[in-house]
Amino acid sequence: MAEDEKKGGLARRDFLKGAAASVGATAAGAVLAQSTPEAGRGRAAAQVAPAKLGEPARKDKPLPGDIVIERPGSDFMLDVIKSLDLEYMATNPASSFRSLQESLVNYGGNRKPELLTCMHEEAAVAIAHGYAKAAGKPMGAMVAGSVGLQHAAMAIYNAWVDRVPVMIFAGNGLDVGKRRPGTEWNHSVQDPASLVRDFVKWDDYPVSLQHFAESTVRAYKIAMTPPMEPVLIGLDIDLQEEAIHEEGLRIPKFARSRPAQGDRAALAEAAKWLAGAENPVIIVDRAVRNQDGVKLMVELAESLHAPVVDLGGRMNFPMTHPLSHNESRRALVREADVVLLLEVGDPWAQFNSLSDPHKEMRHVGRKGVRIVNISMQDVYIRSNYQDHQRYMPVDLAINGDAQASLPALIEEIRKAVGDDRRRAFTARGEKLKEAYAKEKRRAREEAAHGWDLTPITTARLAAETWNAVKAEPWSLAVSDRIPWARRLWPATDYHHMLGGSGAQGVGYAAPAALGVALANKAKGLFTVTFQPDGDLMYSPGVLWTAAHHKIPVLYVMHNNRAYHQEIMHLQRMAALHNRRPDTAWVGNIIDKPAIDYAMLARAQGVWAEGPVTDPGKLGAALRRAVEVVKGGEPALVDVVCQGR
Amino acid sequence: MPILRNLVVAAVFCGAPFVAAQAPAGDAARGESAYMKNWCHTCHGTVGQGGDRGSGPRIAYDLWPYEAFAQQVRRPREVMPRYPAQFLPDSELADIYAYVAAAPRGRKAADIPELR
Repeated sequence: MAEDEKKGGLARRDFLKGAAASVGATAAGAVLAQSTPEAGRGRAAAQVAPAKLGEPARKDKPLPGDIVIERPGSDFMLDVIKSLDLEYMATNPASSFRSLQESLVNYGGNRKPELLTCMHEEAAVAIAHGYAKAAGKPMGAMVAGSVGLQHAAMAIYNAWVDRVPVMIFAGNGLDVGKRRPGTEWNHSVQDPASLVRDFVKWDDYPVSLQHFAESTVRAYKIAMTPPMEPVLIGLDIDLQEEAIHEEGLRIPKFARSRPAQGDRAALAEAAKWLAGAENPVIIVDRAVRNQDGVKLMVELAESLHAPVVDLGGRMNFPMTHPLSHNESRRALVREADVVLLLEVGDPWAQFNSLSDPHKEMRHVGRKGVRIVNISMQDVYIRSNYQDHQRYMPVDLAINGDAQASLPALIEEIRKAVGDDRRRAFTARGEKLKEAYAKEKRRAREEAAHGWDLTPITTARLAAETWNAVKAEPWSLAVSDRIPWARRLWPATDYHHMLGGSGAQGVGYAAPAALGVALANKAKGLFTVTFQPDGDLMYSPGVLWTAAHHKIPVLYVMHNNRAYHQEIMHLQRMAALHNRRPDTAWVGNIIDKPAIDYAMLARAQGVWAEGPVTDPGKLGAALRRAVEVVKGGEPALVDVVCQGR
Repeated sequence: MPILRNLVVAAVFCGAPFVAAQAPAGDAARGESAYMKNWCHTCHGTVGQGGDRGSGPRIAYDLWPYEAFAQQVRRPREVMPRYPAQFLPDSELADIYAYVAAAPRGRKAADIPELR
């Protein structure tokens, strides 16, 4: 009996029965949960008739402190989450998911998923964003469904535009009878997902544990099916905190949907056009999701000896390959007779431009150019947010996942290419090889301009950083911030460059790099990133998260002490309004006082050097930082740079 | 006059031989001050060495003839903002031209180990 009392009234026989019935949750198939309803009933019995306030304690009535719920619903929720093999759950703590957080730590052992303590929900989601691109699978981000989700919204939008899966869990309480007065009402919402429904692929608000199991597995499946996107699942407070009372809870089997290949006949037609073209061009953006995809891209380009313009949403094509012509996009498109677009975010912009601020449109591209577009864009599109870009008429639109369609397309091209075309291709390939070598020489010459200047040029920043990391298995976490890296660094593998934010929502770079580093740590890769100063100040607490969780990442600050792009916009407006342009800095500088980013990092436990202003001292500072990161810790080098 | 301007710009853009008129005398030290005050460096770099892809092109080292330079500042092609004489007097423009013209060319890539 004493034993039973220790278990809050739970019958020992039932407790043992529950334990014996436990089944390890795996992704292999539908399983019974470890958290059994038998155990839940035990604690439910203990909930009855608490003593009234002021009433003397009676032996037959438990006091509030006696009440124990040994198997809360959040234990089962965690079983469901574990079945999906989520390695991490990024959070900024909130009471609306306190039960699941407690289950995660004490019931789940804080492993798979492991909690990551974040200082802001936007950082939590951006960490998950970066992680997914590097790991090839999502992690979780747990936020309060009201204020937390408001903080997280921009990061979710970035992930949406970047076609990245994130599992977002949003805590919330619906039952008005159980909300504590004050804050809990302020932090409750009828429909949490309504705030972000324009830019999540799917959401649900489960009202039972079985509902949670089915919807969470469904959400994961939807998120992982191209076009991959964030999804959101509500975490009802009562469902988390109350005892498990449902019978026969089951976690559904997860089977990943195979990415859809484009129509074979359409791919064959595209292959014929490409094989017959004199000047074909391949433009690729978010087509590739792993190294297999990079290899397929090489096969495709070599099958045609066609130039590839990689727009950089992903690392699609080796920058060391003679068919890599990222810097010649306009010239190539102008001459092209067939253009193949592979999951290009903005097809219209490949053939048109719109001047700013005068809005003069120019068309690039020769008359009669035939455009083939392989994309999933038409499958999934929303109305409100306009990330679908301007409508671009094409000649052959193939609905399909680009990477999944490449093997068939390559096969069809090989069938379509005769010996005469092969000879022509070889000649074309030679010309492109020469142009490639010329561009590489030009890039180095241009990078030399202003080499010894203070503030340090962005070209030197890129070149010095490359020299510091080139002996490591490097991975550039955010690869669109210093474009010089894309011109100077010999990226060959998918993990070498992980693209950008997607929606250009500022505040992505610092946390996303952390997410990339988290995934890279498991692979033994060395993570480095260029960190804009303005971006870091959105969520500087990311540095503390890096130190606390010992995430090895090298932040190289691009500290230009202003929002320089915005200065340019102000200059344009002043010119348009015929007013003085020299005030463009007002509201746009991050100076007077200048921020000491090394101090900011050190204050949060991150090794740091800087501000480095002498270009001659940059290389040594970076090498010292590399050693710190190799030791398993984060590091930051603050470099005072030219504007752009 | 527009014809002359177009010829100047066309000559510059085509790389055709063009005999430029003498640039007005300018003071490089004053020019640096005017260049910074007007935030030219935000796009073109602190000595006109150019910015990263997507920002301002290099204007130093192979400096345009003054007429073309002034034309681009007063009535720019592409997206560069216009700097009218009421806010950037001719004398200041000449100073800026002198400043950019004085930019040291620096080392070549072949002489920089990090770029080899």
